[in-house]
Amino acid sequence: MSLTAQEKLADLFAEPAAGQRRTIIRAVDVKKVYRMGTQEVHALRGATLDIFQGEYLSIMGPSGSGKSTLFNAIGGLSKPSSGKVYINQVDVAQLDHNELAWLRCRTIGYIFQSYNLIQVMTCLENVTLPMAFAGLESEEARDKGLHILKLVGLGHRALHKPAELSGGQQQRCAIARALANSPEIILADEPTANLDLRTGEEMIDLLAKLKVELNVTIVSATHDLKMLQKSDRIVWIADGVIVKTAHPSEIDFSKGEVH
Amino acid sequence: MTTPQHQTIHEQVSLPVSVALEVVLQGIRIRLGRSIVTILGVALGIAFLMSILTTQLVTQGVSDEEKTRTELVRMLSFLTADTGPLHERTLGVIQAGPLNPLETRFLQTIREQGLTRLQWTLLNKSLPAPKDADVVDLPAVAKDASAVIVVGDGDSSAVDWSAVLAPARQKVIAITRPNTSATQTFAGGTLVTLSRELRADEKVSLAAAEKRERARSIWIIVVSLLVTVIGISNSMLMSVTERFREIGTMKCLGALSSFIRRLFLIESTLIGTMGALLGVAFGILFPVLLYSSSYGFGMVFSSLSWGTLGIYGLFSLVVGVLLSMVAAVYPARFASRMVPAAALRSNI
Ligand SMILES: Nc1ncnc2c1ncn2[C@@H]1O[C@H](COP(=O)(O)OP(=O)(O)O)[C@@H](O)[C@H]1O
Ligand SMILES: [Mg+2]
Repeated sequence: MSLTAQEKLADLFAEPAAGQRRTIIRAVDVKKVYRMGTQEVHALRGATLDIFQGEYLSIMGPSGSGKSTLFNAIGGLSKPSSGKVYINQVDVAQLDHNELAWLRCRTIGYIFQSYNLIQVMTCLENVTLPMAFAGLESEEARDKGLHILKLVGLGHRALHKPAELSGGQQQRCAIARALANSPEIILADEPTANLDLRTGEEMIDLLAKLKVELNVTIVSATHDLKMLQKSDRIVWIADGVIVKTAHPSEIDFSKGEVH
Repeated sequence: MTTPQHQTIHEQVSLPVSVALEVVLQGIRIRLGRSIVTILGVALGIAFLMSILTTQLVTQGVSDEEKTRTELVRMLSFLTADTGPLHERTLGVIQAGPLNPLETRFLQTIREQGLTRLQWTLLNKSLPAPKDADVVDLPAVAKDASAVIVVGDGDSSAVDWSAVLAPARQKVIAITRPNTSATQTFAGGTLVTLSRELRADEKVSLAAAEKRERARSIWIIVVSLLVTVIGISNSMLMSVTERFREIGTMKCLGALSSFIRRLFLIESTLIGTMGALLGVAFGILFPVLLYSSSYGFGMVFSSLSWGTLGIYGLFSLVVGVLLSMVAAVYPARFASRMVPAAALRSNI
C-alpha cells in the first residue's frame, strides 16, 4: 500500500471509525542516516508505523537493526533525517524546544535498557523529578511518587539510591519514573536486556498490568522472544526496515528464532 | 461526533530559581566527595595564583624594609659621628612641615637611643603635636642639646640659626633634606646632611633593576594565571562532562535547556566561590607563614602592604569564580542543546 502525501494527511486527520482505535503515534516514512566522517549509516530506511491508543506493541529485531533509532524518533528524542512523526496528531518536527520538553514531560514516559536513573538521587527523588519539571508541588509530588513506587512494588525501597538496588528494582524505579506524570505512552527500549530471565518476565508482567490498569500505550523494543507473548502486536524490524507485523497468536514460539 | 480527545501541546513550565537551587544543593550534598574534589581543584588553582601574588608582595615589603633599616642605621651613624652616642643626651627637633615615612622612622629610632630629653618645635602650628617629646618654642629648642635635627617638608629660611644654636651644648645641625635653608645661613658649627642623594649612575642602574623586576613579576603572574585557568577549567569541565548522560536523562524527563543551564550556573558559582575563598586563604597563609619562619613574624607583618594584598585577594576571588562559571556553563550549554538521544549515548 502506497499513499501519496495528501492521502496520508487526509488519512491522518480522519475520524476513527466506530470500533477502530485511535492512532496515538504515527510514523510516516521515517529515515535516519548517521554520518560518521565520510561514512553513512542508514539506521532507518523508511519506517511507517501506526501505534494505537492502549495497545502493547513490541518492536522486534536483532541488535543493530534500528530499534533504538526508531524509538528515539517516535519519542521525540532525536530528529529523523526525513519523514514525519505525529504524536497525538501533532507533527513533532513542528514543536519548539519548549513544547518538546512539555511533550517529553507529560505525554511520554521513557524506559531505557540501562535504567538511566540519576545515581545521586533516591528512588523517590528520581520519581518526583519529572513531577517537579511539570510544576507539581513537592508535597503532592512526594505522595504521588510514593503511591507510584508502591504500584510498581518498590514502596519499601523509596529512600534507597539506585546503587543499593538490584537491576530489577532499578528498572522498577525507572518504570515508576516513566509513570510520574501519568503519560499516555510508555516507550521502553529493551527494558529487559540487562535483566535475568525471571526478572525480565516480572518486568513484562508489570508493564502488561500497568497497561490494563492505567490504560497507557506501551511500545517496547526488544530482541527477547519472551517479551512477545504479552504484547498485542509485534512489529519486526530488520536492517532499518519494518518487515512484518503480526499478532502473538499467529506465531509459533516453539520454533525459536521467529521471523 | 466522537472527536478524538487528544491533548494539545503546551509550553513547558519554567521552574523558579528556588527549585534549581534545591536540586543543586542536593546534588552537591549527595555528590559530596566529588564536589569536594572539584572545589579543591579550583582552590588549588587560586591558591597557586594567590601565593605567587602574596610572595611578590612579601618579598617586596621585606626588601623595602631591609633597605629602610640599613638607611636608618646609616643616618644614625652619621649623626653620632659628630655628637657621640646619644645615650642621656638632649636633642632638639625643628619640624618645618609634614614628615616623610623615613623621617618618622628616623625620629622613632632617635627616641630609642635613651635620650634624656627631646625638645621639639613646630614651625607650622597646624602640624599635629609629636608624641614622646617636649614641645617648646623656637629659642628653647637647642637648650643643652647635642644637636638640632631639622625635618619636614616646609620652609625654615626665617630661622636665625646662630641665635637658635647659642644655648646648645654642641653646635650641630642635622638636616634630613638637602634643600633646607640652614645650609646657606649657618656658620660656626657642624652641619650634618643625613639624607643621601643618589649619584646619576646609581639612579640609572636602580631604574633598570626596577624595570627588570617589574617585567619578571608580570611574567610570573601571567604564567600563574595561565596555570590557574587551565587547572580550574579542567576540574570544572570534568565535573560537567561526566554528567552528560544525566543531562540527557533530565531532558527526557522534560527539563528545559534553560533549567539545565541554570543548574550548572548555580552549581559552578557555589563551587567556584567556595574553592576561590579557600584558595585565597591558603594562598595568603602559606607564603606569609613560610617567610615569617625565615624573616620573623614582625618583619613580614609590618612590611606587608595589606591594602594591596586585599586587592590581590579580591582579584583572585573574582578570577576563580568567573573561571569556574565559564568553564562549567560552556559545556553545560553544549550538553543542554544536544538532542537527548545523543546526550544519553555519550559516555565521556
Ligand atoms: N549515534 C549514532 N551514530 C552513528 N551510528 C549510530 C548511532 N546510533 C545508532 N547507530 C547505528 O545505527 C544502527 C542502528 O542502531 P540502533 O538503532 O541502536 O539498533 P538497535 O537498537 O536495534 O540495536 C547501528 O548500525 C548503529 O551502529
Ligand atoms: Mg538499541
